[in-house]
Amino acid sequence: MGAGRLARVWAVAANTFRETVRERVLYNLVFFAVIMTLAGLLMGQLSIRQDEKIIKDIGLASMELFGTLIAIFIGVGMVAKEIERRSLHPLLAKPLSRDEFFLGKFAGLGFTLLVNVGLMSAGLALTLAGTGRRVDLHLLKAIYPIYLGLLLVVALALLFSTVTSSALAAVFTVGLVVAGRFSDVIRNMREVAPNAPSWLVGFLYYALPNFRNFDFKDRVAYGDPVPLAAMGLVTAYAAVYIGVVLLMGLAAFRSRELS
Amino acid sequence: MLPRLLALLLLPVIPLVQDRIDERLGSYRAQEEALYLWSGQHVRRLVPGFEGLAADVYWLRTVQYFGGQRLFAHGKRFELLLPLIEITTTLDPRLAIAYKYGATFLCERPPEGAGRCDQGIEILEKGIAALPNDWRLRQDLGFFYFVFLNDPQRAAGILMEASRLPGAAFWLKNLAAMCLAKGGHRDSSRAIWRQIYEQSEGPMRDNALQHVVVLDAYDVADALQGLVAEVERRTGRRPENLEELRAAGLIRRPPVDSSGAPFLYDRQSGTVHVSPGSKLWRPDL
Repeated sequence: MGAGRLARVWAVAANTFRETVRERVLYNLVFFAVIMTLAGLLMGQLSIRQDEKIIKDIGLASMELFGTLIAIFIGVGMVAKEIERRSLHPLLAKPLSRDEFFLGKFAGLGFTLLVNVGLMSAGLALTLAGTGRRVDLHLLKAIYPIYLGLLLVVALALLFSTVTSSALAAVFTVGLVVAGRFSDVIRNMREVAPNAPSWLVGFLYYALPNFRNFDFKDRVAYGDPVPLAAMGLVTAYAAVYIGVVLLMGLAAFRSRELS
Repeated sequence: MLPRLLALLLLPVIPLVQDRIDERLGSYRAQEEALYLWSGQHVRRLVPGFEGLAADVYWLRTVQYFGGQRLFAHGKRFELLLPLIEITTTLDPRLAIAYKYGATFLCERPPEGAGRCDQGIEILEKGIAALPNDWRLRQDLGFFYFVFLNDPQRAAGILMEASRLPGAAFWLKNLAAMCLAKGGHRDSSRAIWRQIYEQSEGPMRDNALQHVVVLDAYDVADALQGLVAEVERRTGRRPENLEELRAAGLIRRPPVDSSGAPFLYDRQSGTVHVSPGSKLWRPDL
């Protein structure tokens, strides 16, 4: 990709980030702050010496939940709304290709989520420090895969956003995210239903995005080791899967009739 | 065209990477995560309004890990069984099958089970507290007191309690009486395991059948011992080996148990036992 193309992708990404900020997406941080403050204040009294674990659990789960909601509900509008509002036409009349627009949208929302996750991580660290707990860098081994999972959700939302309306795209993306969290149940289905065709089980297992791959929350909250090799594999999985989804999205967006 | 081609080229990489992740993190990591959770109550608070669905998922994961249609899986981590059952039954206290399944394989001795009958009994008692009118759970509790804890008095008492519940099977009183009858331990056990066999399915049914087969093998050993005594009474000497019984036309088949292992014959004492090398040998029978 040439410097000119990169600059145009960057311009769309920066604009997308500004747009999400204008849409008050980052207001979810206020909820997060309230939750973390309550967790910090109350958990020490409510739980028996488990407050540190609970604070980590709540912080990491909130990061994932809020991030997923943003990725889905902002992501599905990224292309579909631009088409529905016809605001895409003047943009594409400029020296900006569909590919650049599409990738810029992905990068922009990805950056918004990075900021969101980064600020939430800081909030979690502050809460831990405020309750007299050690700020644990090991938490990054849960936060990083959460972010990778969020990028995958954004890619899926964008793909559906290019082929259907934003409402349907939201339904499909939520469906895939939920199904992807139960990928283990699909993989081991033949243990309880031996007559299920193995090709179908295998196909579903590999075709659906496996969001369990990105879940290290419990391990990290309990201080269990998370091998770097596992992080590498999860990164590779995210890179390949996101790559495939984005390429499919690009192909669909290129052939989409806009008139 | 290019994005489509690239996507097609990248697609086969996904299963490869997924397999490597499964190799490293384990295919049953969802089940293993049950150890991270404190209790079913903890999970229950996380899924308000969806407890039934969450219970179904945990139940599915339990039978996927430990065995659903087939015999209960060997070589599994039994410390996962109690938390998985505990979470499932806390989320859905009326899932009677989960209490029975959990109790069966917590009580069974290794390698078939965890060998923790105290926990198995606890699970059944939790089930009885949640479903006080379920005579089958009480019946199972009585059975387990008899066959695993060797407490016929308590077993009979529980079976009598079960027999008084609405809809209870008529034969519960007979079984209670059998439990109390002296010298009939093996007959009582067989009757109990037959009942479990008839009422169960999947790995619990296979497990009950295995118990009946074991009891049958011990009965055959007793019968062979009777024949040895008969030969001695008639001829004044004990047979050299069990094959002599066959040569004499007293038995038709080779003197092996149903797993194919030869019975152990001690000519000195004239006794016949199930061989310790047999799959059907049990130290307590």
